[in-house]
Amino acid sequence: MWSLSRQTYFKPQNEHIELHRKRHGQRLDHHERKRKKESREAHERSHKARKMIGLKAKLYHKQRHSEKIQMKKTLKMHEQRKTKQKNDDKTPEGAVPAYLLDREGQSRAKILSNMIKQKRKEKAGKWEVPLPKVRAQGETEVLKVIRTGKRQKKAWKRMVTKVCFVGDNFTRKPPKYERFIRPMGLRFKKAHVTHPELKATFCLPILGVKKNPSSPLYTTLGVITKGTVIEVNVSELGLVTQGGKVIWGKYAQVTNNPENDGCINAVLLV
Amino acid sequence: MALYNFKKIMVVPTSKEFIDITLSKTQRKTPTVIHKHYQIHRIRHFYMRKVKFTQQNYHDRLSQILTDFPKLDDIHPFYADLMNVLYDKDHYKLALGQINIAKNLIDNVSKDYVRLMKYGDSLYRCKQLKRAALGRMCTIMKRQKQSLEYLEQVRQHLSRLPTIDPNTRTLLLCGYPNVGKSSFINKVTRADVEVQPYAFTTKSLFVGHMDYKYLRWQVVDTPGILDHPLEERNTIEMQAITALAHLRSAVLYVMDLSEQCGHTLKQQLELFNNIRPLFANKPLLVVANKCDIKKISELTEEDKACDKLLAARVDSKMKGKKVHDVLNRLHLAMPAKRDDKPRPPFIPEGAKVGRKTMEVDAPKRKTERDLEMEMGDDYVLDLQKYWDLMNQDEKHDVIPEIWEGHNIADYIDPEIMKNLEDLEKEEELKVKAGEYESEEESEDEEMQEIRQLAKQIREKRKMKIVCSKEKDVHGPRMPRTVKKVERKTLEKEMGGLGLDMTGKDAVSRFSFSSHYAVNARRSRSVTVLKKRKREASVAPTSRTRSQSASRPPRDQSGVRDPKMAKKAKKLMKSQQKDMNRQGKKGEADRHVFDLKPKHLFSGKRKSGTNDHR
Repeated sequence: MWSLSRQTYFKPQNEHIELHRKRHGQRLDHHERKRKKESREAHERSHKARKMIGLKAKLYHKQRHSEKIQMKKTLKMHEQRKTKQKNDDKTPEGAVPAYLLDREGQSRAKILSNMIKQKRKEKAGKWEVPLPKVRAQGETEVLKVIRTGKRQKKAWKRMVTKVCFVGDNFTRKPPKYERFIRPMGLRFKKAHVTHPELKATFCLPILGVKKNPSSPLYTTLGVITKGTVIEVNVSELGLVTQGGKVIWGKYAQVTNNPENDGCINAVLLV
Repeated sequence: MALYNFKKIMVVPTSKEFIDITLSKTQRKTPTVIHKHYQIHRIRHFYMRKVKFTQQNYHDRLSQILTDFPKLDDIHPFYADLMNVLYDKDHYKLALGQINIAKNLIDNVSKDYVRLMKYGDSLYRCKQLKRAALGRMCTIMKRQKQSLEYLEQVRQHLSRLPTIDPNTRTLLLCGYPNVGKSSFINKVTRADVEVQPYAFTTKSLFVGHMDYKYLRWQVVDTPGILDHPLEERNTIEMQAITALAHLRSAVLYVMDLSEQCGHTLKQQLELFNNIRPLFANKPLLVVANKCDIKKISELTEEDKACDKLLAARVDSKMKGKKVHDVLNRLHLAMPAKRDDKPRPPFIPEGAKVGRKTMEVDAPKRKTERDLEMEMGDDYVLDLQKYWDLMNQDEKHDVIPEIWEGHNIADYIDPEIMKNLEDLEKEEELKVKAGEYESEEESEDEEMQEIRQLAKQIREKRKMKIVCSKEKDVHGPRMPRTVKKVERKTLEKEMGGLGLDMTGKDAVSRFSFSSHYAVNARRSRSVTVLKKRKREASVAPTSRTRSQSASRPPRDQSGVRDPKMAKKAKKLMKSQQKDMNRQGKKGEADRHVFDLKPKHLFSGKRKSGTNDHR
């Protein structure tokens, strides 16, 4: 209860800096020093940029480069403001030159014949996919030989080294008899699917692997590599058919190497 | 009671800085060299280490932020309420929640990618996975930009809050704006609160400390409160309300009798009635201020306020049990009366006389000297009271030197620029006339000689610098010790400096020529491999310039006599023999040769020997 020291220290409270400045002003040479410091800044910055080495220098130069680009853009915009420019707007889509104005658009017959052609293509199994040609993955790349046996001589087992998908009701065969091992660490259930027109990406659950371009063996195993067509659950998007039915499954093609990135990125096939 | 130390919170970096710091730390503190041909487990471990290190850093830093910032549930309700008023409790909790989520997300990312890396079978694949992991973590941090900025602002404001102890003796000043609360606290404590004629000069709580009855008292100054309902109050007024609501203190409701604050007495009374519920359980005093302007008998002084609170506190303490320990030890001592003689206080005669004369004497005009004699030690020469100003009240005002950050002396004289110019012209003329040149004192010969010599030295030095700069067109050169210095140049140089170079021994004293010759010989003999004799244990007599004269060579240091030297040499050789036999490169060479090569010990014996099978 008894105070131990009778000294009272001045404890700065709230806006003490601004208060001090208001009461006592600034150093007598404050403005001069400020002006000189600001004018020295350009020299110091250039000295720093010249003397830096290594990774720091790379990062710094990159950042500085982007700053300079911004400055140049601003300057250019200011210049443009002073002079008059030709109005360079993009022509709206569907705009048609005057001499074509009288023609009618696609007729109904055309629409129907297009539909028939698309159905034929689908049946044939040829889709229009974003990645038509993909590098074929050889067996040595995708499947790794696992040696078993007392003397590690038997080499009939294979382990999948790429990302794969197994269904919900998947159970392994008894370990003595399973030829293809799909490790749990490489099993993925979700994919990041981009809608090409909406330009939006969603994380959707995978329903299955439709086709792997390298080999039908991989399709049955469920191996997902670049270019694989997978089926995803799009009920989240809320798409509806003409007839009023809700679409809940759509195809998408994988666009990255999932084993290098740790995730599956795909583009929806509309 | 934990008084949170709000000043000890670590600085919260911006998101960009955070990312830069962590990534550069990872690059500096983990190994950087890895090759394709290393074993795969080594490559995996290398990249996994980087991912885990980055995750660890983020985790540590974010945890520190979370623990540093006070939890609103754990601190005293006064501070919790104050922070709610100033920073909005929801926003604060949300920001900290986001940081927590980010921390968990980063942990999950690291776990996933370390698990994936176990299946990496090439350097490229592991490297890509590490890149993806770090990228993911940094994206998570980029999204926290807003939270981090907000938390940094909160931290800066928190560290400047006044340290109000909610449990100690406190006096709380409240009332309308501009009634004189800040002036009161300035007078009573050492706090320096800004006092200005406009309302809401004080925008937050200020605390000051004073002593009364050997105890330390806290005086809290609040911003003014206006009369409207609680929902309409702004942040500044809410701080005052918070202080009123939570601090157990004596409340001094300050009223302005002269109505200079801009509100009538009636309005002030109404406000008093409106905030009356906040005064429950607190000793209350109404202070009538500014009564020099409008005289009404004063109601209260600070003494009464302190006494009242003290009485209340003592009452509540009396009811407690701890008091009894203290009471037993307290004892008020009064000197007992010896006899019936009255003993009034003693005042000496001189003092009485002095008092009387001070009252009786009233000269027509009191001189300053009289005043001085009268007041003795208290006297202060105050010439300002004779000034003749338009407004007589301003006679004793302090003339500020600085106001609003500007220097007042700059603005006094309207002709100041002209005067400055005149002054400068005058100075110029004076300088021209040579008024400021120092007189040449009569220096004696010695000084003049010294000056002359100094001048020579300076000139010579400059010449040398210029010469050397001119000479440097050859690029990299051999050091001076390698070249041979001619005798003539040596003589000339030393002679120029004043040294006597005549005579052979003068030159040999420096032993330059012989010295330089030896070194020149040495450099030329690099291509010619001389077979060194095995008995060349005697060190060469001429040493290099770099070695100081005092340091003996290593195989001679610590050796007393040639016998000991011989013994040492023998030991060295016997050690060396062993290593030579084993074909070792040096002491650290621990290479184990393949003693059982596979091709000699495996396979069937067909036709051959063990040497080659």
